[in-house]
Amino acid sequence: MKIGLEIHVQLPTRSKMFCSCPAVGAAGPNEHICPGCMGMPGTKPSLNKEAVVIGIKIARLLNCSVPDTMWFNRKIYFYPDLCRHYQITQYETPIAQKGVYYLGKKPIRITEAHLEEDPGTVTRSGDGSLTDYNRSGMPLIEIVTEPDLSTPAEAREFLTALLRDIRHVIDLPDDGERTIRADCNISMAGSERCEVKNVNGLKNVERALTYEAVRQTKILKAGGKIARETRHYDAERMVTTSARKKEYAGDYAYVCDPVFGKVDVKSIMDGIEHKESPKNMVARLVSEYSIDVRIAEQIVNTSVGLAELFEHLAKNVVADMALKWVTGPISSSWKALEKDVVARTADITDIVIRQRDGEINDVECAMLLKALITGKDVDAVRKGGADLDALIRKAIEENPSVADDHKKNDKAMNRIIGIVMRESGGAYSSSDVVDAAKRILDGL
Amino acid sequence: MRHISLNERYHMFSEAASSYEDKKLTFSLSDDIVATGFTASAGSRILEGHRPVYDSTVSARMRAAGGSLIGKTNMDEFGIGMFSVTGTDIPKNPFDLARSCGGPCGGAACAASLLDGHVALATSAGGGISVPASFCGVLGLTPTHGRISRHGLIDSVSSMGPIGIMATNADLLRRYLKVISSGDPNDPVSAAQPDLVLGKSKLKAVAVPNGITDLVSTGVREAFDRSVGTLRDMSVDVEYVDIPELDYSMSAHYILATAETALNLATYCGMRVGQQSGDMSLPFDDYFTSFRTKYFGTGVKKRIVAGTYMTLGDNRNELYMRSLGIRRLVMSRYEEILSEYDAILTPSTPITAPTFDEVSGIRYTDEYLTGRFAVPPVFCGLPCLSVPCGYPDGVPAGLQFTAARWNEDVLTDAAAAWEKAFDIKAPEASL
Repeated sequence: MKIGLEIHVQLPTRSKMFCSCPAVGAAGPNEHICPGCMGMPGTKPSLNKEAVVIGIKIARLLNCSVPDTMWFNRKIYFYPDLCRHYQITQYETPIAQKGVYYLGKKPIRITEAHLEEDPGTVTRSGDGSLTDYNRSGMPLIEIVTEPDLSTPAEAREFLTALLRDIRHVIDLPDDGERTIRADCNISMAGSERCEVKNVNGLKNVERALTYEAVRQTKILKAGGKIARETRHYDAERMVTTSARKKEYAGDYAYVCDPVFGKVDVKSIMDGIEHKESPKNMVARLVSEYSIDVRIAEQIVNTSVGLAELFEHLAKNVVADMALKWVTGPISSSWKALEKDVVARTADITDIVIRQRDGEINDVECAMLLKALITGKDVDAVRKGGADLDALIRKAIEENPSVADDHKKNDKAMNRIIGIVMRESGGAYSSSDVVDAAKRILDGL
Repeated sequence: MRHISLNERYHMFSEAASSYEDKKLTFSLSDDIVATGFTASAGSRILEGHRPVYDSTVSARMRAAGGSLIGKTNMDEFGIGMFSVTGTDIPKNPFDLARSCGGPCGGAACAASLLDGHVALATSAGGGISVPASFCGVLGLTPTHGRISRHGLIDSVSSMGPIGIMATNADLLRRYLKVISSGDPNDPVSAAQPDLVLGKSKLKAVAVPNGITDLVSTGVREAFDRSVGTLRDMSVDVEYVDIPELDYSMSAHYILATAETALNLATYCGMRVGQQSGDMSLPFDDYFTSFRTKYFGTGVKKRIVAGTYMTLGDNRNELYMRSLGIRRLVMSRYEEILSEYDAILTPSTPITAPTFDEVSGIRYTDEYLTGRFAVPPVFCGLPCLSVPCGYPDGVPAGLQFTAARWNEDVLTDAAAAWEKAFDIKAPEASL
């Protein structure tokens, strides 16, 4: 089985790709439109440079080469959701060319990634269709992989890793404003491929591919042939349906867009600062600080900011000690710290250094960190800790069997945790309650 | 008003203002340049009744400079044609009502010729300035591609064909070239231009491609040869050079122009703008097809079919991409010649204005070759100027100067010098 993906990522620019309409945040349908993106006769597109900058960052992430100059192409597009009925895209000079992205040790070859504009949206309504052009002209990058993925699960794993990296390097928030869609190409050995268009979401990519794999295998087993075609995925019914016979690249008339001419990518590239991708960061943490790969993954998955705090602490104390505090109290209160971690890094470092120098013990260090992160004073934290202990002991007294069960079964303490969480009305984080309950039960 | 009564006879306007302020400069726009308050159909039935929601940059600049827009001029449908007979109306030649004004922007040349002190702006795609300027006996300036903002120009060909100016004297050309030039954020191509400098250059030496008069009618040849003499009398150095590369221009231009047209005209299908009277219950593929079949003219359909062919499958490399390469080759040859000479001199057209009878019998390829001198500069984005240079059989012949990129200066100088040396005739307009 061979699977290749075409991944469409809407880019986080403020305005659209070829006009100055805002890219997101419209109050209603057809609010963010202008003569340009409505294809009014005589208007000319102008290029949003920020889209090129983001394209270059993605090219770098995919280990692709970037051409010194590139141009755009116009491609016939006879659908009502793009007003000009041609799409401005890239054909000969995609911004990212021939790269590779490693899924663990397995190389997934990247054919190319090109910039283009998104069409609007069409909604079927009664006996007609409604078009909304707010999205029309949104900048998009389409990443095309070689058919190097071998199972639907692997495709999902690849997409998960890739999207985490992309979100980080281009600062793409996961707030639902911008979507990521994939066209999934799948073929069985020696047979034609089918393309499932416009699949939304990781889960659906895996489901659509699995459905296709089963469908195609059945046809082949019964002695049938797979026709090359485009299919749709119905997320409700979890099936794919035939849409149309697949066009070949030669069926589209591509003409070079004469309005921007050649874009000097080289000069744009020089001014760009590239962020390290989360995947590369994991690899680097493992080799630089000799920490376990799963722990490195866990830290980076929580947040790249947390990983950066770890690195800062590791440089000021030692890696082991930094790891202990980062995976312990800091990570358990990460949500509270995330927004202003940079401003508080110096204070956190001070506390950890005092612990290293023996000025304070582990318990005090944990308490000071908690106080700093949650913004409560130390006494309140200490008292809170004492109150928590009291609550837990009370719960154990009222449920005496738990103490015995706990020796046999880790899950037994969940009852205590549940009671305490409920009674404290969420005053303590679940990880604090778990830690304290475990400590007290272990000590009985 | 005079322009309205003239229009009844000569049909230069597709839509004319009912009145305008006296003493104001009057200007017109070819029907493919949008302006608020006027329809813009680019000569096509598919855009019939289209009222643009914005002003083109040239219209806004002319109005800001005190100009009064008095009409939209007739043209070939989407700028495709050499005789202005495929649009929504047919303009008549000011020198002879039975003859064509030339195309694609014949109405503009007709208006410039008939109305005193009038400035006609029109698109130069497909030789749209030099051909009609020559047929109607006016001065026509095609600026460098990128000199004038094309924002608001309904273009079927987008990589070439700047907006140009037609008028009866060099002073008008110079003054209003200044008004409409300079960069415009709404058209990135115009944003990269160097400043327009006028009044510094002098026309001193021109090159004439060898064998050029073998390709023209007797009347045009005689007018051209006399013009060479006149230029020499003006102490302009005239030399004959070989420019065989020019021969490739027409085929390569045709391929690029048709390919771009097939693509750009995809916009027009009876949705949102212009004609929308189709059967909305049809699936959209059928709706688009029926609509385009009904409302596009034959010439446009030919180009769409040809242009689609030029870019499909292997043809894309063999025809379309190769033509882009040929354009670079011709451009570099032009540059070479124009580094030694101020301008290249050719007739503007191989013939003078044909009668409508002759037009109806002309073959498609011969029609296209009417632009054999007017098209190559446009093909390469170079500025050129057409001036009247003789009146064989009572109708004007034109002389064309092609200059180096951005050097409109030498052309406005040539226009000023020429109108002193040559007696430009006005038509005897009758109402």
